[in-house]
Amino acid sequence: MALQTQARPSSQAGPGPMPQGGKSPRAARLTPHAIRDQRAGLSFISPSLLVMVALIIYPLGYGLYISFFRTNLRNQWDFVGFKFFIQTLTDPAFIHSIGVTLLFAVLVVLGNLVIGTALALILNTEMRFRTLFRAILILPWLFPDVVVALIFKWIYNPLYGLLNYGLMTVHLIDKPIAWLDDPNLAFVAVVISCIWKGYPLVMILILAGLQSIPKERYEAASLDGAGPIGSFRHITLPGLLPVLIVSIILDTVWWFKHFTIVWLMTAGGPIDATKVVSIDIYRVAFQNFDFGRASAMAVIVFVICLAISIVYRKLVRDNES
Amino acid sequence: MKLTKPLAALLGLGLAGAVLTGCSSQAGAQSTSAPANAKVTLTVLSPLVVETPSGDVEKAYAAEYQKLHPNVTIEFIGVPMNDAYAKISTLATGGQMPDIFINSPEFSAKAKQLGIVADMDKLLGADYLKGFAKAPLDQAKLGGKTQFAPYFTIPTGLLYRSDLFKQAGITPPTTWSAFEADAKKLTVDTNNDGQTDRWGFAMVGTNDGSGGSRFIPVMRTFGAKELVKSGSSWTTQFDSAGAIKAFKLYGDLVNKDHAVPPGPLQTGYAQANALLATDKAAMMITGPHTIGAILTQNPALKGKLAGAPLPHAPGEKSVSVLGMLGWSVSQDSKHQQAAADYIKFVLDKKNQLAFNAATGRFPTRNDALADPQVNRPELKGFIAAQDNAFILPAVPYYANLQVIAGGDYQQVILNKMTPEQAAKDAAEQTKKSISDNG
Amino acid sequence: MRSGANPAYYVLLSVAALFVLMPVFWMVSTSLKPETELFLAPPRLWASSPDVSAFIRVFTDYPFVDYFRNSLVVVSASTVISLAFSTLSAYGLSRFEFRGRASFLTFLLISQMFPSIMLLIPYYKIMETFGLVNTQVALILTYVSFTIPFCSWMMYGYFKSIPRELDEAASIDGAGRFATFARIVLPLTLPGVVATAIYSFVTGWNEYMFALILTSSEDMKTVPVGIGQLIGQYKIQWNDLMASSLYAIIPLMIIFIFLQRYLISGLTAGGVKS
Repeated sequence: MALQTQARPSSQAGPGPMPQGGKSPRAARLTPHAIRDQRAGLSFISPSLLVMVALIIYPLGYGLYISFFRTNLRNQWDFVGFKFFIQTLTDPAFIHSIGVTLLFAVLVVLGNLVIGTALALILNTEMRFRTLFRAILILPWLFPDVVVALIFKWIYNPLYGLLNYGLMTVHLIDKPIAWLDDPNLAFVAVVISCIWKGYPLVMILILAGLQSIPKERYEAASLDGAGPIGSFRHITLPGLLPVLIVSIILDTVWWFKHFTIVWLMTAGGPIDATKVVSIDIYRVAFQNFDFGRASAMAVIVFVICLAISIVYRKLVRDNES
Repeated sequence: MKLTKPLAALLGLGLAGAVLTGCSSQAGAQSTSAPANAKVTLTVLSPLVVETPSGDVEKAYAAEYQKLHPNVTIEFIGVPMNDAYAKISTLATGGQMPDIFINSPEFSAKAKQLGIVADMDKLLGADYLKGFAKAPLDQAKLGGKTQFAPYFTIPTGLLYRSDLFKQAGITPPTTWSAFEADAKKLTVDTNNDGQTDRWGFAMVGTNDGSGGSRFIPVMRTFGAKELVKSGSSWTTQFDSAGAIKAFKLYGDLVNKDHAVPPGPLQTGYAQANALLATDKAAMMITGPHTIGAILTQNPALKGKLAGAPLPHAPGEKSVSVLGMLGWSVSQDSKHQQAAADYIKFVLDKKNQLAFNAATGRFPTRNDALADPQVNRPELKGFIAAQDNAFILPAVPYYANLQVIAGGDYQQVILNKMTPEQAAKDAAEQTKKSISDNG
Repeated sequence: MRSGANPAYYVLLSVAALFVLMPVFWMVSTSLKPETELFLAPPRLWASSPDVSAFIRVFTDYPFVDYFRNSLVVVSASTVISLAFSTLSAYGLSRFEFRGRASFLTFLLISQMFPSIMLLIPYYKIMETFGLVNTQVALILTYVSFTIPFCSWMMYGYFKSIPRELDEAASIDGAGRFATFARIVLPLTLPGVVATAIYSFVTGWNEYMFALILTSSEDMKTVPVGIGQLIGQYKIQWNDLMASSLYAIIPLMIIFIFLQRYLISGLTAGGVKS
């Protein structure tokens, strides 16, 4: 009911913010069917469009705008042009943290995908205790980031942590290991915690995607003599692709921007082994209150995320054709 | 029914979205001047109100104050300390500052620059200001103007297990070489299973404010300052001989003396104090409030913890940092005088002592400081430390320096840099911070 | 794929379940420990005498009842709105060719790419301009805007997998566009709707930073803000923190258990092909 009342009135307002390009000659050439399509499409997207335009355009513009100022956002607005961009991009520490962040995001997303897809495929088969397993395996996603970070930090603790205790009990190690003190181990430890938190989303989405693939296709394929691998390649994968691509893009972008778990577990350390770029941005913005510089860094991250998504989509398109 | 309202608002917002261009903040529709007995609501942004046990104490002040002044309502905006400055800066940019907000030496330069602090000298009055202990009040000033009424201090010193010291026949070290020797002596295998299970020194080695705010005073006891005013600008002594010794000390304690429990780089304040509470370490650099925190985890340690000033290098002096918070009245407040009155109430002797009893943090007013409750023997060392307090340089990027120091002592502990290299690196990064903000 | 219960599957699932449950077990164990047993080396797996007082304290010492009420109102509303809007837009995107379609899809993706920490202040300014600071509406709007892009894209993917002939058949039967969407196509994407609903709910339920900034009074705070307040500068209330986190996932678990059968049923191919 709410849907209908929403869709109708806004359908008139719909074309307003769209890049209509005026009454272009092309519009005149549209067939009546195409015009109907145009109006229907716009009215269907208008509620989302309104929310997004109202709540995203201004913040994005604001972020871009303040990146050209040295500002405390209240009484200091000194225009600095591209100074912060140049300083940031020529800062080796920033470049290093972009590298760390990329590696971090790639590993977490890869982990999420492999574990999430594997579990979804298994959970998609007819088996006993499926409901129970599904409920257990979704759990990590339900906990707030803060709690995940703190509990893992504790588990990794060399003295009273569960991990060393377990490994020592089974005599895999004879001396506690300070997991988060070694730059390489710490990086891996943080990635594992993030995968723990991150894979269930991928699992759920793929599970839902698998359910949308009609069973008949599998039956037809097995009649044609396709084995399980063949039917995975030719039916499951293409069927999942639309959902998968967006999941991968967004998962990468989200983890690229991720802050809480890393911040609470290592604060970017040891040294700068886990210093993801969000930690830099947070420190500059809310510890140094240098909002313009922080915004310039954020804009750079934005551009990188954009580039990542373009690369992904290009890869997919090349694959499809 | 909950749905219709947001939907309506959503529509309104969507339609108005186009109008949203300048987005200047409108002042709230508050009454401009309140007559003497009119209803007054004071909003107080406090990180302590959401913590225990300090929250109960603060709520009790507020309740009592409201009883004494029926026309006043105190409303808390509770924000965890870790997010308090993010919240304040947001409120400040939106022109929605509460009447009273938390302030600190780390934040005051920024708050002043934002223009959100009222004239505290005028509001509190010169006579009242005389009642503050000198060190905290000095720390609360910028360019001679009081930025906040100091609420409590946590002087940094050396917290140690007095029983273990007695057993080992040692007294609190006054030099770093004695400290290293003591730390080694206190690193023992208590149950003779061939593995060390108590260490001399619980080092806070995280590369954040928690670790950096401990390293910097240590460095100062070697005579090296993170920032020195030279003329109108700042320079650093991070690469001086003293600083190199401080970096070396951190590395040696871990790698040469083996006097630090495993995992120092991930040992933040909370973990370090758990190490003392669980009898895994004998010393740590911290303030008096830690005694209470440790005792709640392990009541058996009652009477076995005491404080001393930080050791120092030969020929140098011990120093201390005053970890502290204070209250500022907001420049935008419509009830500045009422707000100041409430702050004075919070800081009266009875309330200061109640806060001290609950949290172990030191009062800031002379009357409360003179009370026997604060002058207990185990706290003597911290009271002495308070007199050595140095004033934190009031630069908006100060938190950066703590992080820089943190990263570089981690380099030394992990043997990725020599103390000399770390010192040089810290100095370079500090100079960059200075010039970025110049 | 469909070979039924392969023993290797059970082994894999059990290993995964162990990986999941170990930290969860540690949370439960921590929530039941008295303060004196929290940090012991070696750790004690289970409290010497389990103490449920943290679970009681959460409701007696803190206004978690209010926090839960706020979270439920805010997150339910934002989930419903977000789902309604995104299914609509996804349907439009998957069914109609119109100018701006591709730009809108790209815009939805792009909206996710700016570090959200830098969006805090502009969001606050918007809400303040409309007098919405410290209201549930502000959080509802915020979460709707956070979840629409992902939900729209997901639903777009699910809608695309449904043949368009179905819509055409319905429109021949005289159903209007909206009726075709709501009665014919939407029900077929139930697993997708459920998955995005769970996503939207979980995202809102665990959001911390914006809830912290956009609310100020105790009676408007949400569960994550309440949980965050148990992490003090000098001290973490470990057992209360764990107890409240365990409470916090209960509503999510209930919703998940209730909805999960729809994750699986939903679409049968016969329904599509007919």
